[in-house]
Amino acid sequence: MKQFKRFGFALLGVLFLVSCSNDDDTTEIITGDYANGILITNEGPFNNGTGTLSFIPQDLSQIENEVYQGVNDEELGNIVQSLGFAGDDAYVVVNNSNRIVVADRYTLENTATIEEGQLQPRAFAGTNDKGFVTNWGDPYDNDDDFVSVIDLDSKTVTGEIPVDFGPEKILYNGTYIYVAHQGGYGQNNLISVIDPTDETVVKTITVAYSPNSMVISGNTLWVLCGGKPSYADEETAGELVKIDMTTNEVTLNLAFGVTDHPSNLTAAGSNMFYTLNGGVYQTTVSTQALPDTAAFEGSFYSLTAHDGYLFGTDAGDYASRGSVIIFDITNFNQVQTFTAGIIPGGVYFND
Amino acid sequence: MKRFGYILFLMLAVVASVQAQQDTIYDLGEVVVSDSRLYKFSQNLKTETLKDSVLQRNTATLTDLLTFNSLIYFKENGYGMVSSPSFRGTNAAQTAVIWNGININSPINGQVDFNTVMTNAYDAVTIRSGGGSVQYGSGAVGGSVHLENRIAFDEDDSHRYQVRYGSFNTLSYNLRSQLSGKNSYLDAGIDRITSDNDYEYPGTGIRNRNGAFEHLNLSLNTGYKLDDKNTLGFFGMFGDSDRNFSGTLTAPASDKYADKNIRSMLKWTNTGRSYESELRIAYLFERYEYYADHESDRYTFGRQHSAIADYNLDYHISSRIKTSLLLNYTSVSADGSNIGDNNRNTLAVGLMADHTLSEHWKYGINLRQEFLNEFDNPMVFSAYTIYRVLPEYSIKANISRNYRVPTFNDLFWDTGGNEDLEPEHSMQYELGNILNFHPFRFTVNLFYIKAKDMIKWQPDTSGQWVPVNVASATNYGLELRGKYKISIGEHQLHFNASYAYTKAIDNNTDKQLIYVPYHKITGLADYSFRRWNAYYQFLMNGEVYTTTDNSDTVDAYMVANLGINYRFFQRDHGLTLGLRIANIFDKYYENVAYRPMPGRNFQFQLTYNIN
Repeated sequence: MKQFKRFGFALLGVLFLVSCSNDDDTTEIITGDYANGILITNEGPFNNGTGTLSFIPQDLSQIENEVYQGVNDEELGNIVQSLGFAGDDAYVVVNNSNRIVVADRYTLENTATIEEGQLQPRAFAGTNDKGFVTNWGDPYDNDDDFVSVIDLDSKTVTGEIPVDFGPEKILYNGTYIYVAHQGGYGQNNLISVIDPTDETVVKTITVAYSPNSMVISGNTLWVLCGGKPSYADEETAGELVKIDMTTNEVTLNLAFGVTDHPSNLTAAGSNMFYTLNGGVYQTTVSTQALPDTAAFEGSFYSLTAHDGYLFGTDAGDYASRGSVIIFDITNFNQVQTFTAGIIPGGVYFND
Repeated sequence: MKRFGYILFLMLAVVASVQAQQDTIYDLGEVVVSDSRLYKFSQNLKTETLKDSVLQRNTATLTDLLTFNSLIYFKENGYGMVSSPSFRGTNAAQTAVIWNGININSPINGQVDFNTVMTNAYDAVTIRSGGGSVQYGSGAVGGSVHLENRIAFDEDDSHRYQVRYGSFNTLSYNLRSQLSGKNSYLDAGIDRITSDNDYEYPGTGIRNRNGAFEHLNLSLNTGYKLDDKNTLGFFGMFGDSDRNFSGTLTAPASDKYADKNIRSMLKWTNTGRSYESELRIAYLFERYEYYADHESDRYTFGRQHSAIADYNLDYHISSRIKTSLLLNYTSVSADGSNIGDNNRNTLAVGLMADHTLSEHWKYGINLRQEFLNEFDNPMVFSAYTIYRVLPEYSIKANISRNYRVPTFNDLFWDTGGNEDLEPEHSMQYELGNILNFHPFRFTVNLFYIKAKDMIKWQPDTSGQWVPVNVASATNYGLELRGKYKISIGEHQLHFNASYAYTKAIDNNTDKQLIYVPYHKITGLADYSFRRWNAYYQFLMNGEVYTTTDNSDTVDAYMVANLGINYRFFQRDHGLTLGLRIANIFDKYYENVAYRPMPGRNFQFQLTYNIN
């Protein structure tokens, strides 16, 4: 996606709700309750449009698109990058509009829109009282990246933690905030460990290049690094890195081939999955080695495991409505396929 | 119902046209045209030439001019921003822009941004619908737009001093002098426009942010007649544009784009009893800088130099058989932040023949072969016939194979550029009907374009965006144009209407291509009485799809402009005061999704002409 943006294409399709006359994928609007279901973030077209949220109820029976607009009669903004939950709220990170839209996670009614202090925000993680948002700052400046701190009560920005360049995914394990520095438009190879109480980086852990996804399992933090791609100065191997969160030390590195660049690490129970070279690979959260063969074939823009299901998103040509494909985790049979919004990029479980 | 209204309007226009009278022919002393192929080997195609009076009516850029005066659809990223033409449903890289006979599409991105071309510097702008790759090379797929400076000997001198000021602090001026002697000619001009372009999106209270632009254009064209057989001409222009790129309803912007262009050409024309030879030596330079943040001095750039030698020999074997030989050698070197440093040399050889069989019937065959490139060097052709069924009715049929070569961005972009790309090819078939009941003229054109191996950027398995020769499209449609002109005493009335129906199908999905409207209508009513002139022009762009699955759209819109001019003093020494009101009904409309265009806005114009 970032290549695409950098190229500055404005040719992406555009979502223009006002004129959507015959939308065959929107079903009748269910008012009020978006609890017990799945929220999908759709990035939307770059510049000329808005990102959207889609909702799939727990029984996976249908999809409802543009749910946030339906409830609030306003648009989220450009490039809905990701979403995070904290308390009763969902924090929607809208990258290119430089804002965080806060909505009640069950009704999706807007409770606040935070624009202060956000510059290319990427992802959100919340503790009991604070929210943390990774921000690239100016994408062409590697020295201005930060994590924005939000007071969850007042929904205002209370601080800013300078971090190394290219902060992306962010997770909270109950003690620390872990930030993966994928490296923005370039590549970086760090995990920042932030103490949420005094809002400082207490440690940076070196991993392989382009840490693009993380999973917490007990005291273990699994970090999947894509490695430097072929077009970088020097191509490097992807790596699956195991970090012990009690010591914040790397305890295991599982290297891929130099030309292998995996992504989308996700876990459900003891099962762990990732995507690589057009296949979905399965392993476990206690693995000591990488699997040799793919569990099944499939290319996905994002992959998320949850409760016996795998949710893959397909962005298609990035200029039309993408889809969400749901697989049974035991046999990888396709359970459902839904048409979502433009570039569906994240799947979040509201339960 | 809405559609029915448009059709009704067109029918009325047609009926009205029956009584119309043909435009008077633009007549000058002795004129050397700069783009002779446009006149010698284009009778088979639909051409529409916009002259001085029309160029003056619209504001300074080629987008403004052609949006209201042609059937070309423009996709404009907000007013004054990047503007891409679509000719018969093709894209910007499939539309060639020809400057005094030379193709000036950028080898870097394959196109010309129509908002950076200032029209005041030209004597005529001609729209040539249909394929023209044989004559004009890469990019002349859907059609071509010709910018012409004419060299005229033995004419009256003329001078024009014009100032315009209007909404959004838009200031422009144009100074131009054309001096014509028995054997010499000089045309020098300067054009400057600056605008804050911070218009309010009608009815929203939101202002267009980061949209300011400025352009400077200098032009110098001279001619010298050596003797009865030999003429030398020099054509030169310098353009300097600086634009911020405006944001959208949802995305703020801070980027800026600055570009400079130099075009120069020396032309030697040698004519004899049965031949005419033209040698052109041209040098083109282009440099752009893109600033992600206009307040920063960090930018990426692209730059190209082209040296062109172009030779054309027309030889009349007999009064009925005309032949033409074309040789073109183009050497391009381009470098930039993302395209490395690369060269391209192309040699093209073309042969054209035109045979008049009788007073009623003629036909022609044209061929072009290119050499030297690593990709498959295109071989293209066109063939046509014109048959006059009745004195009042002619039919033209035309078939052509056209191409566009991969751009330097497509080939070398870091990252993703694909050096294995091949040229895009297309076939175009066209049938034209001309009704010429004197003084009435009405044209109906049907076209069918089949394009294959079209270059499309798409993600590969690793998510990297790469261009591939993968897309194919089928475009077909209909173009209608009618004119009506009447004089009653001192009242002169002039109506113009045109309509295009365009179907452009992506053959892989069977969906309409994005940003190609099914319908476009333009209309003009012009009224003159003594020293007064008033005009009303309008444009209807049909709904366009913004997603490849046709799930989302930008609404159809109609915009209308009104202008009033009053001329003081005499005709050869005239001071004209004018007011132009654009978007007179203050309509909210978007041309590109989420990029609203300006509401009602005003422009005062003061022109002093000495003829």
